[in-house]
Amino acid sequence: MSIVAGLLIFFALAVVFGLLLGYAAVRFKIEGNPLAELIDKKLPQTQCGQCGYPGCKPYAEALAKGEAEVNLCIPGGEPTMLEIAEILQVEPKPMDAEATAPKPRMVAVIDEDICIGCVLCIKACPVDAIVGTTKMMHTVIEKECTGCELCVPVCPVDCIDMVIEKTSLKNWKWPEPTVAAETQK
Amino acid sequence: MKFSSSPFAHNNSSVQKVMLQVQLAAFPALLAHIMLFGYGIVIQWFLAVATALLVEYVMLKLRDRPALPNITDFSALITVTGLVFCIPPESPWWVIVSGSAFALVFGKHLYGGLGYNPFNPAMLGYAFLLISFPAEMTQWTLPKEIAGYGLSFWDSFNHIIFGALPHAPIDSFTGATPLSAVKTGIQEGVSANQMLQAPYLDSGLFHITAWGWINVAFLIGGAWLMYTRTIRWQFPVGFLASLALMAWIFHSINPDLYAPVSFHLLFGGTMLAAFFIITDPVSSSTTPMGRLIYAAGIGILVYVIRNWGAFPDGIAFAVILMNIAVPLIDRYTQPRVVGH
Amino acid sequence: MSTNSLRNRLIKLIAPLYPMAKRWLYHFHGGVFPQYNKSLSLRQPLRSGFMPKQLILPLQQHMGIPAVPCVQIGDRVKKYQLIAQADKGLSVPVHAPTSGTIIALDQRVLPHASGLAEPCIVIAPDGKDDALTNPLNLQQPPQTIAEFKQLLLNAGIVGMGGAGFPTFAKLPNQPGLVQHLIINGAECEPFITCDDVLMQTHADDIIRAALFIADLFAIPHVVCGIETNKPEAIKAMRQACQGSNIEVVEVATVYPMGGQKQLTQELVNIEIPTQKHSVDVGVVMMNVATLRAITQAIDLGQPLVSRFVTVSGMGLTQPFNIDALLGTPFNELVELAQPQPKLDYPLLMGGPMMGFAVAQNDVPVIKTTNCVLANPPQEMQDPMACIRCGECAEACPINLLPQQLYWHAKAHEFEKAEQLNLFDCIECGCCSFVCPSRIPLVQYYRHAKAEVRELKAQAALTEQAKQRHDARIARLEREKQEREAKMAAKKAAVKQQAEDAENTVKPNNEDNAPMSARDKAIQAAKARQQAIKTQAEQPVVDKRQAAMEAAKARIAAKKAAETTTEPTTRPGAEQTTTELTVEDKRKAAMEAAKARAAAKKATETTSEPTTRPDAEQTTTELTVEDKRKAAMEAAKARAAAKKQQDSSP
Repeated sequence: MSIVAGLLIFFALAVVFGLLLGYAAVRFKIEGNPLAELIDKKLPQTQCGQCGYPGCKPYAEALAKGEAEVNLCIPGGEPTMLEIAEILQVEPKPMDAEATAPKPRMVAVIDEDICIGCVLCIKACPVDAIVGTTKMMHTVIEKECTGCELCVPVCPVDCIDMVIEKTSLKNWKWPEPTVAAETQK
Repeated sequence: MKFSSSPFAHNNSSVQKVMLQVQLAAFPALLAHIMLFGYGIVIQWFLAVATALLVEYVMLKLRDRPALPNITDFSALITVTGLVFCIPPESPWWVIVSGSAFALVFGKHLYGGLGYNPFNPAMLGYAFLLISFPAEMTQWTLPKEIAGYGLSFWDSFNHIIFGALPHAPIDSFTGATPLSAVKTGIQEGVSANQMLQAPYLDSGLFHITAWGWINVAFLIGGAWLMYTRTIRWQFPVGFLASLALMAWIFHSINPDLYAPVSFHLLFGGTMLAAFFIITDPVSSSTTPMGRLIYAAGIGILVYVIRNWGAFPDGIAFAVILMNIAVPLIDRYTQPRVVGH
Repeated sequence: MSTNSLRNRLIKLIAPLYPMAKRWLYHFHGGVFPQYNKSLSLRQPLRSGFMPKQLILPLQQHMGIPAVPCVQIGDRVKKYQLIAQADKGLSVPVHAPTSGTIIALDQRVLPHASGLAEPCIVIAPDGKDDALTNPLNLQQPPQTIAEFKQLLLNAGIVGMGGAGFPTFAKLPNQPGLVQHLIINGAECEPFITCDDVLMQTHADDIIRAALFIADLFAIPHVVCGIETNKPEAIKAMRQACQGSNIEVVEVATVYPMGGQKQLTQELVNIEIPTQKHSVDVGVVMMNVATLRAITQAIDLGQPLVSRFVTVSGMGLTQPFNIDALLGTPFNELVELAQPQPKLDYPLLMGGPMMGFAVAQNDVPVIKTTNCVLANPPQEMQDPMACIRCGECAEACPINLLPQQLYWHAKAHEFEKAEQLNLFDCIECGCCSFVCPSRIPLVQYYRHAKAEVRELKAQAALTEQAKQRHDARIARLEREKQEREAKMAAKKAAVKQQAEDAENTVKPNNEDNAPMSARDKAIQAAKARQQAIKTQAEQPVVDKRQAAMEAAKARIAAKKAAETTTEPTTRPGAEQTTTELTVEDKRKAAMEAAKARAAAKKATETTSEPTTRPDAEQTTTELTVEDKRKAAMEAAKARAAAKKQQDSSP
């Protein structure tokens, strides 16, 4: 008798929880591919294409589908790789030696005196951050440049340089205090 | 270029000063202890300090940290001093040595050293001893006036180090602690009031027992700490108030089953906990409101464990339990920031 | 609230026994009681008339956008003359503090925590102190708010208590919006006494400006807060207030009583909401020094060219207060106070609680310099682990949890720090002052704030890059589709035409038959080629000549240091419309690169490679000239090569 009661109780519980889970699956269904969105948020959005995909979003989508390696984002470097691996729940893969540390923010600067106005860099820029037209000198909109360096190799007269932003009163940061004694060696 | 940021002035306080202040405040209790229970505690204290120095040095070396500024922060001194007051003064040497080592290794260094430990190291060590050596921990030295016999320094030394029995019948110098005795008595059907009128709980100056006087000594030291702002007032106030309130409520309901307020405040480690144990800033709550909640929680838990738990005194477990709740308390008791 | 109420007297009785009882004397949370050392600089009389060897005037002495210089090197200027105009936006002009000659316009180290060098105007005084008459062209005191604000802007007045916020921007545009005008004479920082001395000597000026502003903006309540440790100043100000309804209130001596939020809370019991300005809640606070500068502007039409500065510190034998010209180097002031021991340590600007160490001791006094402090460095104890003692939280005047903020700042969990209201921190330094572990808490917060700001900027940038990339992809897609649609339409049209032709005329005679679209196109292409050929029938330049041309370019580039000829045409303009073959391009690029390398070499002896073009400063002009020339030559060479290519087939 007691066995029957136990079985019944557990059966009832199974039904209730099953229904609850079923309801939750319908009620809280997530549309779209949240994984790709999540990864896209972690990518540096330089749109440099160094991963072999035409921009950050396609790489994120490929990652979400499991078609791409996690260590392809050069500008993001190791921190980004670790974040992607964390999201995808996969083993981190080492980056190429040069790409382990993220580089400081750089922007392209066109030497306007050398520029011949060939528009090649304009075509190469993934974020339309270069303005100018045929035969007129071009210039980089500094605050829109992502530092992807895609414009550097295409320039026929080699007039584009990548420069680190100069420290001024506007972007100067208080340095972090040196580490406390107890953690020093 | 080396940057240094404002302020370029300081009020000259330091961790060392804070710790020494606490050590200083423990002296009245230490003196009372020596007067009432003999020199056992002095031997225990030296054993504990020696253990602390050794453990600190070895652990710092193992953790690859410089020994010098860290050993002299005196935090280990406070930890073992707290522990020494908790254990019976005539217990064998390995009790305090293992307890101190456990407190410092598992209570502090394994978590990353001073400032990073979630639990009160002294109470962790005490809990370890309570669970490991329950017999040793409940046999307390009887006060001189009850035993009628005070152990000399050498008697204590021989007993603690070599286990040699003093030249006196064993039963006459150790016995159950009052908390333990009352608990057993109530379980056996004796009323609390009757128990408290037993000669051994109704002795001493002004009818305050030796244990009571120790608590008074802690109270004096604690008052000094409050005055120098070394400890925060919320801890003793919250703790003593909640403990007293609990005792008062239950004593009012049934005086036979539940001991009066004065008993709870003056026996066991009440005052030690109120001013020296729960005030450990590292493992306690840091918001003003949180401190009150934390202290009150300990008070309630202490009362619960004393009355309905398996152990006669529940300070160690109460503190550790509330330590666990600290992050939660801190999160929900953040003070209102100006302008919000 | 009287300072002599029974309660306050009781507290003062208890204070020697229990010093922290003093915290019950005021209304805001926390606060500390440092060693004030104010008497040091009050022993000497106020100095004035000191003329340094040169005056260094940074273009940015205020919060906002730097001013734009309007003088040249060699110009002679008179006292009060405008030497740098306010830029658009939050900016104020700079005026000459005395007469003299502009001897430099260059980068000098600023009195700023960063120790960065920024553009400054340097004046060599001539000692005559020739002043312009009515430099601000003031006919009568301003009648309207707009006139008044314009005058404040023209006079270059900024908040002189420390923040340096342009005063004109702080005031509302219409009357009636402000209920309380608070005159800040608290001066809570240790060592500093310049406001104290100013109140003692110029109380009338301060009150006049306050009354003027109260009148103009219809402010009903004007109150002045002075800490109890300045009895002389309180007396002087009370005397100056007689007959007006300005109330002078003694406030408790506690740091940071002079903070805007704290003094507002103390005097009018209003908490300034987070992320808001005080004017939003109807409070305007002005430092006494700012008010005096305003009086000088409205009464005399004088711009801000000098200020009271305290020169004090433990390392000085004769500290003093001085009415110093803006631009006076710190070290010259300190030498006047006979430093002992020798001044071989960095000076502080401001007080010990919120000041900062300057990178060089010859930085100038600017509009926000209230104190030059010479405290010989002391052996500093290394920071230890935080023991979570909570002293910092007790001391925080904003009621933050500094220790938890520190925890997150140290772990680089900046978002969590922000959630704990990191940005409400006023960086007063109370927490570090009381920390027994000597943790540089304030610096952690400053760093964390900078990081949060940068993170936000970075996030905005990333978002922008994403949007722009998406927009670009959409655009390319659209263009492709448009092109395809056009092509399809064309194809369809041609097909239609051909069909029409086939249907109407029989293809008997091929010569007479209309050409198919393809044939037409071929014909047209041929014609174009013909045209190009005829154009190209000019002296042929062979490849060797092109190389020689490039060599010439190199020589020219080397000579470029002397020559200053302007290029007649832009290099890019010479590019012909006909497309170059890939080979041509590469050649031309190579030549150009060579020419550029030569040009670079030419200047390498004088300039080292720098990260940013504008940092090249001294050599930029030459380099630009060189490059332009080289590019010109290169373009010529390219054109020649192309012509040769065109004519060879």
